[in-house]
Order: sequence, then structure tokens, then C-alpha cells
Amino acid sequence: MSAFLQYLVNGLTSGAFLALVALGYTMIYGIIRLINFAHGDVVMVGSFAGYTMVTTLVAQHWPVAAVVLVALVAGMAITGGLGMLIERVAYQPLLNSSRLAILISALGVSLALEEGARIIFGAGFSSYPNILPAANFSVGGAHASYVQLAMFGLCLLLMLGLYLFVHRTATGTAMRALAMDRDAARLMGINVERTIILTFLLGSVLAGASGVMQGLYYSQINFIMGFLLGLRAFTAAVLGGIGNIPGAMVAGLLIGLIGSFSDGYVSSQWTDAIIFAVLIGVLVFKPTGLFGERVAERA
Amino acid sequence: MTPAQTTQAARRRRLAPRLPGAGMATRAGVTGAACLLSLLLPLLLSQYAMSVAVTVVTFAILGLGLNVVVGYAGLLDLGYAAFFAIGAYTSSLLELHTHLSFWETLPLAVIAAAISGCIIGYPTLRLRSDYLAIVTLGFGEIVRIIATNLNVTGGPNGLYGIPAATVFGTSILTSNAQYYLGLFLMAVAVAVTGLLSRSRLGRAWRSLREDETASEAVGVPATKVKLLAYVMGAMVGALAGMFFSARFGAIDPTSFTYNTSVMILIVVIVGGMGSIPGMILGAVIVVALPEVLRPISNYRLLLFALALIVLMLARPQGIWPARRSRPGSFTAPPEPAGAAPAPAGRRSEPGSVLLSVAGLGHSFGGVTAIDDVSIDLHAGEILSLIGPNGAGKTTVFNCITGLVTPQRGSVLLGGRSLRKLRPHKIVSLGVARTFQSIRLFEGLDVAENCLVGLAAHQGRLLARHGLLGRTTAADRRQALRWLEFAGLSGQAHLLAAQLSYGDRRRLEIARALTSAPLILLLDEPGAGTNPTEKQALMQLIRQVRDSGVAVLLIEHDMDLVMGLSDRVIVLDQGRIIAAGPPAQVRSDARVIDAYLGREETGSGETVEEVLGWHS
Repeated sequence: MSAFLQYLVNGLTSGAFLALVALGYTMIYGIIRLINFAHGDVVMVGSFAGYTMVTTLVAQHWPVAAVVLVALVAGMAITGGLGMLIERVAYQPLLNSSRLAILISALGVSLALEEGARIIFGAGFSSYPNILPAANFSVGGAHASYVQLAMFGLCLLLMLGLYLFVHRTATGTAMRALAMDRDAARLMGINVERTIILTFLLGSVLAGASGVMQGLYYSQINFIMGFLLGLRAFTAAVLGGIGNIPGAMVAGLLIGLIGSFSDGYVSSQWTDAIIFAVLIGVLVFKPTGLFGERVAERA
Repeated sequence: MTPAQTTQAARRRRLAPRLPGAGMATRAGVTGAACLLSLLLPLLLSQYAMSVAVTVVTFAILGLGLNVVVGYAGLLDLGYAAFFAIGAYTSSLLELHTHLSFWETLPLAVIAAAISGCIIGYPTLRLRSDYLAIVTLGFGEIVRIIATNLNVTGGPNGLYGIPAATVFGTSILTSNAQYYLGLFLMAVAVAVTGLLSRSRLGRAWRSLREDETASEAVGVPATKVKLLAYVMGAMVGALAGMFFSARFGAIDPTSFTYNTSVMILIVVIVGGMGSIPGMILGAVIVVALPEVLRPISNYRLLLFALALIVLMLARPQGIWPARRSRPGSFTAPPEPAGAAPAPAGRRSEPGSVLLSVAGLGHSFGGVTAIDDVSIDLHAGEILSLIGPNGAGKTTVFNCITGLVTPQRGSVLLGGRSLRKLRPHKIVSLGVARTFQSIRLFEGLDVAENCLVGLAAHQGRLLARHGLLGRTTAADRRQALRWLEFAGLSGQAHLLAAQLSYGDRRRLEIARALTSAPLILLLDEPGAGTNPTEKQALMQLIRQVRDSGVAVLLIEHDMDLVMGLSDRVIVLDQGRIIAAGPPAQVRSDARVIDAYLGREETGSGETVEEVLGWHS
């Protein structure tokens, strides 16, 4: 029982990190129908940006809270800028070309980010210094740290913020309109290019937050970490019904849980096979994902 | 312009300059020189360079196989390396455990891949293409993880001691020998995929890539045809896998990762989707470029990645994109003397009930779209279905043609129930349709649009007349006669996207007619046409009726309805409120109410004024 609870706690934590990344996939897919293969690597860049900030500031004896705050903000700012840059340079010129051309461009960006990070930080692991308090509490035999709790809360807060932004603001409405029909949205006076770039900004900022938190939580990061993360987050986006924001949040948590239970009860070697088998099983019976898609089919 | 027209115009602009600068003769010359060069390559290059060349050939075969799936059929596959792995492992395991030779295991490996193509394909093919991408990716990863964790496949260490291939008793061991063997296998893959692309199946794939719903509506069995794309692609992939394992004598799961799948996809897109020389060029770039960059080894993948982005920005269609099917080659074959204006189709007894719809009802999430609709369509008549927007007219069409399975009621064609049949099956039984928003295969030319329907109708798409059956002169003549019938024979070689609006409408009708229907369902053919076009359209619809095809027409244009129809049925809020000859219907009080609303009947407007009926 306590093992079960422990897997549950761990799964929810990694699932929350995953959900933040899945949101980026789902938003970007929704708005330009692109599976943004570089998104996992944007998380990796966020992680390294946070790493650089944390090591620098710790060396200057900043207080822990300030270090964490600055690293988070810096990570989010850098990935946000990077996301906009990627969209402007590698995707925007291809928006009217075949969808596969833009997909290959995304694969190129992904490889470029990985190789860039490898050249700068090396091929081995980099370790975040262990600065967070280890204080924890136990629930029914499972241990959860206050840091875990705080991070989980922050993830939920960011997701809630995004949800409110997309559903309650004029810009959010423009984003949803654009996802349904780009031409019609343009004719209604929506600045399409600006709205797309804003979507990349939001998705990448969430990715950056996830990257920094993962660095702080797991400590070990490397240049290739975005690959598996991206794969699982993309799976979550599809499982939740791609284009569906609440769907991506729930499915992200779900994939985190499946991963954690599979690691614990089966073997981590089989985890990805199990995750994909679940996905395929769900799609066979519910072809639009668990919660359906909010993307209108173009007739 | 409406958004739809904007998109259409944009698409037209995109399609127009598709032919690259090089002319036909230049292409033939380049191809010949490349063949010669590839045969002489071992004389020119070092041993090391030759081993790179063998890898290029392997990736070219893989590219050719994936090209069938992605390039021809337009299905995104991110786990293609799975078939590469299945070919390699099947062949190696058989060679190691049963002492079959390389060539003896070949058919078995290819069959194993074909079966796995069916297993992954069958349950997932109804998914939209983006979902297919992740499912194929998942399948690829599952295959790799299984190979890594099973004992029989040697786990993470893989298999070793796999015998080399032998040709005429000689083992293929040197790079040069391997190169020639690979070149031979590649030539096989080129021949097979080339034949496929020119076959009827190839055209069905292209129509599917352009518009799946429309392609089912002209009789293409979409699921079967898609599955065949997977199976064919898988078989070619297995060929590459066998060659790979015999070349190195050892295989392990790290050769069949997601990265491998991505590399193969890059070969296809960079080379130019759908193009065979493009695949070979793509393989050269993907394999050789990182090798050329080897001296700056630390930066080579970074440079490769940047080159990839720049390449896509500069040439999104790929380096050597697929050529359009021989432009201008569609000259009319000699007409047999005394050809009838309309080609002979199926005939039915005049006056008999062809289509019988009874008690049809359907709701969309609580909103009743149609309720208790009964229609009898007789042979040789034009029956119009009219009613205000939202009355349920198109839903009736969708229920008849199988796009929607009706919740209540029956649809009988000559006594046979059409309920729950797939759209393509209903077409083959004799019910063809057009769409309210025109759905053509934009990237195919006008003649090909018709040929898709023709081949599907003749049942020649699949085994009966050979999978690789090419379009015969008779097929072309037949297609051309339908185009002539619709007044489009002069535009046969244009892309559908290049036609004017009125011609697009006519092409959609011609395409529907090629399946030799008993019944033609036209969904607002008059929408957006000018008065001249409308007259021509009315003439065309009468000719269709006179050729023995019954017409069920949805239309808002009352000139058209009143001028053409033998009978008119009026739908309002999903129910039939009136039926009868045009003159009777237009004076029916319920019809006037439905169009004007009860409160406004006294306002002085006559229904003629509102609907523009002026006789």
C-alpha cells in the first residue's frame, strides 16, 4: 500500500512536469497543425538556462528562494524568446507550404538545439547543486516533500493561468478562432502572425518552467533529455485529444502515473512500450483521444 | 472573396509553378548519366567511400519504401524503422536457426513485414493522419523495445554471426560486391515502386492524399487502399533490413530507433515526396553530408541540422519533386466512329422505383436533423429536394451515401439495403454524388480526377485485373468522353485547382458520372454560378437524366428547380411538408409558410418575390 502511494506521489509530480510540456504541443498543434518536434528540446534549453543561473548565483551566495525565483524567471524568459525565434525563422516562412516541410524543419531545429547544447555543456550529465530543503512529510507510509508539493502547486497554477488566458481574454479567443479557421480569422481582423508567435511564446514559457523545475527536482540533466520527455508529452497531448487544453493537462498527469506505476511494478525497460500500448489501445476505441479534440475539422 | 476561395486561390498559386526548371530531356539525360556513374563508382572511390555508398543505397531503398506510404498515399509514418527491423531480424533468425540462405529467407522476411504492416495498419487506419503519426511512432518504439528485451532476439546485444549473402556461390563480402548487390536490390525497389505509382492503385493513393472523403465518394475503398500502402511500404523496408543484416553480419536494436525512422523520413521529404530519383538524392544527402562534414566532427550534426532547416526554407517541395503525370500527354485517342454523346452506363427500367428511402431519421446530439423522411426516386426522373437552410437536405444525402449512418429508417436501392455500407461500396452499387462545397482532387489533373472514379467503378483497383494494372487507352477514352459530355475536354490536362468555378462544378459532376451510376445526387450544383453557367448546367443535368441516370437534386435556385424537376419534395425542420409536381408545390400554403414564416404571410410579399420565382 505504501509503495502504491509512493508511486502515486512520484507519478503525479512527473505527470505535472509532463502536462506543462504537453500543453505546448497541444497549443502549437491546434494553431498551425504542426507536431513541434523541437518542443522537448526547448524544455532542455530551459533546464540548462536554469542550471547556469543556479550555479552562478549559488557561487555568489544568494539566498535559496531568490536563486530559485531568478532561475525560474530566467528559464522561462529564455525559452519564451527561443520559442518566438524558432517560429519566426524556421516555421513562419513555411506556414503555407506542405505540412511535411515544416515538420522536417522542426526536426532540424530539434537536432540543432540538441547539438548546440552538447557542444556548450558536453555530452555527459550536468548536476543542479542540491539547494532545496529536503523536509518531507508522510502520508500513509509514502513520503512527499514540501518541494514536491510546491512544484505541483506551481504547475497547477500555471495551467490554470493558461486556461483562463485562452478562454477569458480577447487574445485567447483570437487564438481559438485561428485554430478553427486561419483564413476566416484573418478576415475578421486577427493579426495571424502575431497570434501564432504569441502561442509559441506561451507554450515555450511553460516548457521553460517545466525544464527548470525538473532540473531542481531530479538534479541530473543532459542535452538529450528533451527527446524522451518530448515523446511522452506528445503522447499525452494526443491521448488528451490534440488541440484540447484541459485534455492535455489530465493526460499529462495520467502518463506520469502510468510511467511511475510501470517503473515500479513492471520494469522501466518496458515503460515506454506500455505507454504507447495504452495510447494505441485508447485511439483504437476512441479515435479522437480521451476527451475528443477541440479542433474543428476543415471541410 | 470568401475564405474558401482565398484558400483555393492560394492553393492554385502554390500548385502552378510545380514543374521544376529542368525539362523532360534534361531529366532523362541526368538520369542516364547518374545510372552510368553509379555503375562505375567503385572505380572512382576509395574502400571507405564505397562503404558509405553502401549505406546510401540502404537508405535509398528505405526511402523508396517509405515514399509509398508518405509520398504516394500521404500517410505520415514515424515508425518506419520497425519494418527495417522486422526484415533484418526475421531474415537473420531464419538464417541462424534453419540454415536457409539469404535468398531463401527473402520471401519470408518480406511476408513477415507485410503481416506486421497489416497488424499495425488495420485497427488504426481510420485515425486522422496526425494520430497515425504518433501511433506509428509508438509501434516503432514497441518493436525496438521488444527486440531489446527478448532473449530470442539476443536482447540489447542483438544477433551476430549472420552469414553474408551469396550470389552464384560467391559470398558478398567486400564493399564493392555489397555495393552492387545493394544497387540490384535498389533497382528492384525502384521498379516496384515506379510501377505502383503509375498503377491504378497509385492514382487511388494520390486521390486519397488529396481528399479522403471525396475519394470514397467516387468509389475508392479507402481503408483497403491505405492498408495496401502500409503493406507495400513494409515489404520494401524488409528488403533493406535483410540487406543490412547480411552486410554487417550482426544487428542490434540501436540500428532501428526512432532516429532511424526520422532519418528515413528526412530522405523522403528532402528528396521530394513521391519522386523516385528524389529518394536516391535524399539518401545521398542524408548519409553523405554528415560524412563530408566529418573533419569538423564536433560540429557536423549541428551543421547538418542547420542545413536541413535552410534546405526546407529554400525548397519546401524537396530537391527533386515528383513530376506531374506527363503534362500534355493526355491527347485524345482516336474516337471510335459514331460515339454516343453520353457513354453507356447501367440502364434501368424507366418509371420503376430505383431508390426507396423510408422513415429516415437522424439526430446530432439532441438536435433532430431529419425525422421520418420518405422518398421514392424513379428511374428517369429529376427529383428536387428543397427547403430553408438547416432543413436537413444534406443530411438526407449523407444518410443515402453512407457518410452518416441513419439512426432510424431504411434506404433501399433496387430492394437492397444501403444502411451501414461504406461510402465506396454504395458508389459501386450505383449511387454517385457531388458535394455542396466542391471537393476535387486539386493536385491531380482533370482527366485523372475522372480516371480515379473509373478505375474504382470497374473494380480493377485491386486484384481482379492486376494490382499494377496501368491505365489503358480504353480507360482514357472513357474518361475523355465523360469530360466531353461535361464540356471539359479542352481542359483535360489542367490541374483541377486551375479550373474556373463553373468548370469545377462540371468536373465534379463528370467525375461522379464516371462510376456509371444509376442515381446521381447533386448538392446545390447551381450555387455561385452566373446566369450563363446556370443555363449550361441545366442543359447538362437534363442530358444526364436523358442518358438514363435518375437525378436527386438539392437546390436553392428556384429557376433551376422549377425548370428541371419532374417532382419537388419540400423539407422543413427535418420533415417533409409537401411533395408533388413543381406547379403544385409552389402554390402550397405550407411551403409558403415555411419560407416566409406564418406571421409575415400577410405582409404583401408573394412567395414568388421572396424566392425569385418568375415564370
